[in-house]
Amino acid sequence: MAPVQGMGREMINYLAQASINTELLYSFVIIFVSLMIYFGTKDLYELTNHKGIKYFRLSFLFFAVSIFIRSILKFLFLFIDPRTIREIVFNLNVINPIILFLFMYFSAMAIFSLLYSVMCKKWNGKCNLILILNIVAVIIALISVVSGSSTIIFGIYLFLLLFVAFITFMAYKESKNKKKKINLYTVYILLSAFWILNIIDILVPNVLQAFQLIIYFVSISIFLSILYKVLRKLGSN
Amino acid sequence: MTKRSKIEIIKDILDIVNKNNNSIKITPLIRKSNLSTTRFNKYYGELITKGLLIEKIHSGRIISTTQKGLKYLEKYSTIVGFIEEFDL
Repeated sequence: MAPVQGMGREMINYLAQASINTELLYSFVIIFVSLMIYFGTKDLYELTNHKGIKYFRLSFLFFAVSIFIRSILKFLFLFIDPRTIREIVFNLNVINPIILFLFMYFSAMAIFSLLYSVMCKKWNGKCNLILILNIVAVIIALISVVSGSSTIIFGIYLFLLLFVAFITFMAYKESKNKKKKINLYTVYILLSAFWILNIIDILVPNVLQAFQLIIYFVSISIFLSILYKVLRKLGSN
Repeated sequence: MTKRSKIEIIKDILDIVNKNNNSIKITPLIRKSNLSTTRFNKYYGELITKGLLIEKIHSGRIISTTQKGLKYLEKYSTIVGFIEEFDL
C-alpha cells in the first residue's frame, strides 16, 4: 500500500508543480505584454496629453497590476485550498480580503479604463464619469469580497459583460470606419469576457478548472493581438 | 472643409513656426494658424505649458519650436495612426 501512496503523493506534487509553472508563465506573459503596451505608448501620451491614449495606457497598467495580485492570490489559495469565497475571507483573516479587494478593483478599472478610452471623446466633460466608474469598481470589489454567494458574483460579472458589450456596440455604431473597427471592438469584447472568466476562476475555485488552459491560451492570444496592433502602429510610421 | 481636431491644430501651429526658420512673431502666427485670437491663445498657452513652443524676447516676442515640438511633428503621423487604429 505504501508505494501506491508514495506514487499518489508524487503525482499530486507533480500536478501542483505543473500548475504553479503554468500560472507563473501565464502571469509573466500577460504582465510583460501589458507593460510593453504601457511603456511603448509613453512617448505618444507625453507629447499629446490625449485623454484616450491616457486611459488606453492606464487600462493595460491595471491589467498588469491585477494579474500580479491574481498570482499572489492563486499561490495563497494553492497552499490553503479554500472551498468557497466565504471560507477564503474568514480563513485568511485580514490580508487576503485586502488582496482580493485590490485584485477586483484593478480588474474592474482595467475594463472600465479601456471602455473610457474609446468613449471619452463622446463623454468628454460629462460629470466626472471616471470618478463614477471608480466608485462602481470599488462597489464591485466590496460585493465580491463580502458576498459568499457564487450566484451573486456570476450575476455581477454577467451584468458587467453586458454593460461592456452595450457600450462597445454604441461606440461601434458611432465610429466612422465601421468595417475597419469591427475587429477592434470584437477584440475588446473578447478581452473583457476572458478577463471576467479569469476573475471567476479566482473567485469561484474549481468551477472553471477544466477550461483553465483554454482560458489562459485565449487570454494570451488576445493580449498578443493587441500588442501586435500597438507595435505595428508605433513602428509603421 | 472638415473641422480640425486638437491634435491637427497643434501640428499646424508647430508647422508654421518650424517653416518660418523656427522663429516667428505672434501676429503672423495667429494669422497663419487660421484661428480666432481667443482659440489661438488657448492653444498657444497649452503649447507653452507643455514645452512644445518657447517664447524669446528680442525685438518683441519671438516664438520657436522646442526639441519636444520637433518630436511632435516627427511623430504626428504615428500619433494620428494610433488614435485612429484604437478609435481613441
